[in-house]
Amino acid sequence: MARRSSTNYQRAAWGFLAPGVVAVVLVLHLPVVYTVYLSFTDFNGLGDPDFVGLDNYVRMFRDPAVLTSIVNTLLWVVGTLVVPVGLGLVVAYLAFGLPGGAWLRVPFLIPYALSGVAVGVVFSFVLQNGGALSQALEWLNLPGSELRWLQDAPLNTFAMIIASAWQGVGVNALLFTVGLQSIPKEPLEAAKVDGAVGWRLFRYMIWPLLRPSTTIVVGLSIVNSLKTFDIVQSMTQGGPNRVSETLGVTMYRNTFLNSEYGLGAAVALFLTVITLAASIIYLRRQLTIGDPVKKAVRS
Amino acid sequence: MRFSRSAAAAAVLVLGAAALSGCSAGGASGADSGELVFITDKTWDFDNFSKESKKDIDVALETTAYADQEAFQAFVKQSFRTNKSPGLFTWHTGGQLEELVAEDLVAPTTDIWTKAVENGDVAESVRDLYTVDGEQYCTPISVDDWVMYYDKRTFEEYGLTAPATWDELMTVSDTLVDNGVAPFWNAGGNPWAFVWFQILAAGTDLDLYTGLTTGDVKFTDPEVVEVMNIWLDMKEKGYFTDPGSKVAAETQMKDQEVAMIPFGTWYASTLTTVGLESGTDWGVFPIPNVNPDQETTPVAIETAPACTASNSPQKDVGLEYAEWWMSSEAQTAWSEQEGNLPYNPNAEASTEEFQTIGAEFADPSYEFYLRWYEAAPAPILTASLDQFTGFMTNPGDPTPYLEGIQQVADEYWAGN
Amino acid sequence: MISRIVRYVVLGALGILWLLPIYLLLANAGKLTSEYSGSQLWSPGNLPALLSNVGEVFSTTDVPSGLGVTFLYATIAPFIAVVLGAGIGFAVIVLKLKHGFFWFFAVFCGTVFPLQIMVIPLFAAFSQIGLFDTFTGMTIVYAAVATPFSAFVMRNFFAGIAETVFEAAVVDGANPWRIFTRIYLPMSRSALVVVFILQATWVWNDLLLALVLTQSASTRPVMPLLAALQSTEGGGSAYTVVLTAALIVSIPTALLFMFTQRIFQRGLSLGQY
Repeated sequence: MARRSSTNYQRAAWGFLAPGVVAVVLVLHLPVVYTVYLSFTDFNGLGDPDFVGLDNYVRMFRDPAVLTSIVNTLLWVVGTLVVPVGLGLVVAYLAFGLPGGAWLRVPFLIPYALSGVAVGVVFSFVLQNGGALSQALEWLNLPGSELRWLQDAPLNTFAMIIASAWQGVGVNALLFTVGLQSIPKEPLEAAKVDGAVGWRLFRYMIWPLLRPSTTIVVGLSIVNSLKTFDIVQSMTQGGPNRVSETLGVTMYRNTFLNSEYGLGAAVALFLTVITLAASIIYLRRQLTIGDPVKKAVRS
Repeated sequence: MRFSRSAAAAAVLVLGAAALSGCSAGGASGADSGELVFITDKTWDFDNFSKESKKDIDVALETTAYADQEAFQAFVKQSFRTNKSPGLFTWHTGGQLEELVAEDLVAPTTDIWTKAVENGDVAESVRDLYTVDGEQYCTPISVDDWVMYYDKRTFEEYGLTAPATWDELMTVSDTLVDNGVAPFWNAGGNPWAFVWFQILAAGTDLDLYTGLTTGDVKFTDPEVVEVMNIWLDMKEKGYFTDPGSKVAAETQMKDQEVAMIPFGTWYASTLTTVGLESGTDWGVFPIPNVNPDQETTPVAIETAPACTASNSPQKDVGLEYAEWWMSSEAQTAWSEQEGNLPYNPNAEASTEEFQTIGAEFADPSYEFYLRWYEAAPAPILTASLDQFTGFMTNPGDPTPYLEGIQQVADEYWAGN
Repeated sequence: MISRIVRYVVLGALGILWLLPIYLLLANAGKLTSEYSGSQLWSPGNLPALLSNVGEVFSTTDVPSGLGVTFLYATIAPFIAVVLGAGIGFAVIVLKLKHGFFWFFAVFCGTVFPLQIMVIPLFAAFSQIGLFDTFTGMTIVYAAVATPFSAFVMRNFFAGIAETVFEAAVVDGANPWRIFTRIYLPMSRSALVVVFILQATWVWNDLLLALVLTQSASTRPVMPLLAALQSTEGGGSAYTVVLTAALIVSIPTALLFMFTQRIFQRGLSLGQY
């Protein structure tokens, strides 16, 4: 029944899909095509690009700093999955259903609302040598006030991941909250009657039912952490001496600092391929579960 | 139900507002309204300056400031391919200007310069910075000499006076260190990691410094290693502020945590923002030669050019404005507003401090050189800023850092 | 009961920790530059200084002039993106478009590419077709950039709605458009609101696209104006004034989050349908 009714609406479905697809393809996909072209050229932003084949890709992988950059980017992916995503789930779950829970979520959302300039100032206040964190640790007589949070690798990458968690937890909590709201109440009540509480209730009832939200949060977290740029650029510029560079910063540096547009484009495409691969691996497993259309396409 | 109704109401409201804004947005672009479109990566108060030009030559600036210097440069480069190329824009001298000239993108200003030099509005040495293959391009908004700013309150407290030689400077520094004040400000990263390398290299041997920017000297040469070792020695004696601090230099000086800051004369206006007054709280002195045997004392200069795109729809008015910018009226107004040292000898510096140092620099014993940020080719500059930052953060044997820069330099010079 | 107390305590403690950096911002925005010191970051500010800084922001900077147009970008573009994204989700999940996953993935790919590298080709294209420095151009860009996220969330949300909802509506004789606007959009209110506020915040805080794609005062939003106050080479505003400006422009988005919170508190549950 469902199958037959769906095919009846193919034309209507195109009507719903097309405006969004057209906008995205024109604004977001076309520049990518141009960047693919640039990555095979030598171009300083002036005059005309010269075709150089795969030179840029070869040069990119010869740069020893690119390896550090890849490792740091992977650290960001893992770190972002553990800290902001995990904490976001904790906050959403603890606040859910509590009277006044909405207000308890507000402190976590305010950092996301801040302008980039304010965020940059906060992080430099907190993390610089002798900054607010060191001052607080010293005042509390705790160890660590001598640590150079932004200057020593890999400490600086971890410090910046925590900083980005400060900004990102609220959004993840919000998305998880929406997920918690869409969980049907009846099975939960039934499970509670059966004596499922605490961890067991969460692990066997809520976690599986949260999957649509988890997919969104984890999927976006992977994509965004692979593209990490803003925090690193404003805090360390990828330094000192390139030790905290991510692929996003490498790309920016080649393109904008050194005016090597071709090399920057090559790094951007490398980053894109990794991101796409990660999303495909992740989304195939997660998104196509329970998707009859996908199964129909496959068969 | 309730949702869809309120959403629809919101949509109507917003679309209505958009229609209004659309009307007001139409035709507001500078070309139509007779204002000169001016785009810049500087944060100076051009709106205020524009009032002066409106009065004098009846041209006002429509200024758009781009905070991010790198994005700004990429934007300007792209704009040459469109009909949006600016009538006036700020740029950098050195390699960056040569790049534009090589593609015929900026309008020559040779006639303007010839007249200005004849009038005595600008020194011959400044013209050299604006000359590419015998022709001049762009005109200077300002020419800033690099000096050492010092905290008069701190100096007085410890009975110190402005040093005239490198040895005196080091003695002053020792006294400051003994009293728990960092003598010199230094910071890592882009842009300021180059400052102390520039001071020490040019102060040791100006030809060495110039050789590094032209590829005639290698970063791994023993003379350069020696320069880095002076830096290391000063670092080990505790002469520098923590490069991992993000507290602005002026704030550190206000709190009397640092006593001396090497910067261009543009820095005066920044010092006033934290309440430090020229003459009473701070003064300046020329940075002495590290090597006393050098015949002249090198002074770093930087200059902010205003350029006109050769295919700009506002080319004529852009050039007219550029010419006016060199006049003594404009330079006096500019110096009054920004508190820096005017390059036009007919204009007057706004503070006594700068009047004095301006007179001092007129002496032929000073030799001017382009600061590292403009003098070094882009990839070498980027690599050097990284390596210098690494060196400041983990001071030690300079060789690996210098080798890192040289590797990039080899690659660069092989391709050019 | 005990678990409830534990939950309050844990959330409260974490919340305070989260607000400490905000305190730092407020405390230092409440100082004149002559009072601000890098080694006294925790010391509180004072109201007169804060008011003086606020006065400076409004009297000496361009920042307030960009607020109006920013408000329009941040409402119109996310609104369009929410509708476009919901349309994509509806077509793929509810109407079961053939190769729907492919199209959905194509849209999702729009989030994959780093924006920094796209601004230059976008500028070139926009100035060719006359969209550079226009309100329409900026709205289109922001809407397009926000659409993939919107489609991603809405697709997943619609996937959680039982197919019987659609079938029952069809039996009642409703057409797809009516089903979309009268049933699916109202049902997914909390997801739509989340997408809207997150994207509105993103547009409000965007610096990069605005920096490159706008120029005149009537189209340039607030973030490039704010960023332009920060000086590297002299000029610019005093540090604590910049900080105050950065906080002032964050007030609208912070309020947006606070006041939309109650929407998530109503316990709207999809299980009812």
